[in-house]
Amino acid sequence: MSKSAKQKRRDTSKLALSYSKYYAGKMQVFPKVPVTSLDDFAIWYTPGVAAVSLAVAKDREQSFQYTNRWNSLCILTDGSRVLGLGDIGPEASMPVMEGKALIYKYLGGVDAIPLPVNAHSSEELVELACQIQPAFGGIHLEDIASPKCFEILDRLRERLTIPVWHDDQQGTAGVILAGLLNSLMLTGKKLSNSRVVMMGAGAANIAAAKLMISAGLRPGNLILVDSKGVLHSEREDMDHIMIQNKWKYELALATNSERVKGGIDEAVKGADALIAASQPGPHTLAPRTLRMMNKDAILFALSNPVPEILPSEAKKAGMKIIATGRSDFPNQVNNSLIFPSVIRGVFDVRSKAIPDDVIVVAAQELARYTEKEGTLTEQHILPTMMDWEIYPLVASAVGEKCVSMGIARLKMTRKQIHNRAQEVIQKSKNMINSVQKSNFIESFSSVNKKINK
Amino acid sequence: MITLAKSEEKKKSGVVIRAIRKEDAAQAAELLARLKRLNGEFDPLLKTVTVIEAAAKRSIDQAMSSENSVILVAVEQNKVVGLVKADVTDRAFYEPRREGAIVEFYILPEFRRSSLGKELLSAISEQLRKKGADLITAVFPSQNEIAKRFYTKLGFRSLTNVYAKAD
Repeated sequence: MSKSAKQKRRDTSKLALSYSKYYAGKMQVFPKVPVTSLDDFAIWYTPGVAAVSLAVAKDREQSFQYTNRWNSLCILTDGSRVLGLGDIGPEASMPVMEGKALIYKYLGGVDAIPLPVNAHSSEELVELACQIQPAFGGIHLEDIASPKCFEILDRLRERLTIPVWHDDQQGTAGVILAGLLNSLMLTGKKLSNSRVVMMGAGAANIAAAKLMISAGLRPGNLILVDSKGVLHSEREDMDHIMIQNKWKYELALATNSERVKGGIDEAVKGADALIAASQPGPHTLAPRTLRMMNKDAILFALSNPVPEILPSEAKKAGMKIIATGRSDFPNQVNNSLIFPSVIRGVFDVRSKAIPDDVIVVAAQELARYTEKEGTLTEQHILPTMMDWEIYPLVASAVGEKCVSMGIARLKMTRKQIHNRAQEVIQKSKNMINSVQKSNFIESFSSVNKKINK
Repeated sequence: MITLAKSEEKKKSGVVIRAIRKEDAAQAAELLARLKRLNGEFDPLLKTVTVIEAAAKRSIDQAMSSENSVILVAVEQNKVVGLVKADVTDRAFYEPRREGAIVEFYILPEFRRSSLGKELLSAISEQLRKKGADLITAVFPSQNEIAKRFYTKLGFRSLTNVYAKAD
């Protein structure tokens, strides 16, 4: 990181600390019905509420109609792998979960409740998620260590009748796929006959590998490389992997049909794209490694805070398209481009699940946006969070796919879903803007005066 | 050591099951070492010694020269992809009087889930019965749920337990 970037980071950290302390949290509970006098509670609470409860008791699905369940998402975590900070515990994960809830509200109009818990085994977390299901329209798993996160997601996908989403897997995978689809389009290649190498076999890359295969990449044309080298079915530690991480084991069996052995240098020979989510750089990837790739090669160097190799160096080593996880370089691969709209979409049609095919559709729609807008270039393979139209667009693609797969409780058309999503998101934004204008949410400038006194 | 007649060799998508030969010994030992390391995944008391490869080779050589041991291998184009070893013993106190105990069983990852395991098991059971063993047993780590499922599905049940305590 450059000196100015380091300074900027320090400044941001300082601001985050003092503002978070001043505002004492980022989210609060706020009513959505009129209360003009205490008499109104006869409607919202007893005796009126009993009739509503009876209606739901008769048909539990009505809880999506009569309560805020349809728009309520639980952000569930055990704090076992928070950002790049590791196992810092549930309390310390709360600031991150509140931040996620804020993004959900602002970009997706979703009411997300942060719920960091003292539960550590997969069994405990799975049981807990099943127990809280009646209160929520969906469960968002966040910052749970790998490989525990795979097992929890798989089991909840089986057991819950509401959608479950693990952002570190599916969110990242979805944005990676969207970015890759556009990168391949720019270089005149197709996913179905491309050769892709993934460096790092953590949650994000394993999920991205599975999603790329769902989207049409030939498993045999994919090579995974972890800290021990190229993954292949004959590797000596295959049984260790089978016991410790069966998801990685399955990929080891299905991928690398040419049985490439060795390290990253052997893996990237002739590869069209390299997706690295391994160790922070800037020297994790050597220029000489990149030079061995195919013509018009694509590099996603996603480690934070510093990519595996700096974009300027990667460019010199011949990379045609470079994406990172950082907002201060072009082409940021950012989960926030996808999770608010996927949840908006599944909520609006009251989907029971989020299968991989739905995430593929979300990624394709996200990719299509830059192409349709005519803004697709090597320096701009993905929209940014400023492109607010992507949220209702992706939500409607997601909703439509859920309807066609028969997992939606509501049968809506794409246009209806789009209008609905747009309305909910716009209303949420208007509310936030309006309370800011009325100063119930104080502006930074007025707070600065108080803090600096 | 027993030898299977040519007609008894089983073929499945290029994989042949047959008695071990001298030229298979080195590869068979590699598979045995893999099995022992896999066992180590289940329990710290099964952590392998550092010279596991040499120990595996010795074990294979010994079994090949013993009348009471049977080793079958699954081979694809000269490559050993699976291994099963059993020992035949007399039972002094119980009926049936002769036991064939499957003590080693390993298949390379990419050859699993292809019914090769089932075929290896039935091939070795046949050999053990020919040696007079009317009881077939299998020994594996208590925590190995994969083995438990495999044998249970094929009609086996738990017979004796080994409990362990290290000082």
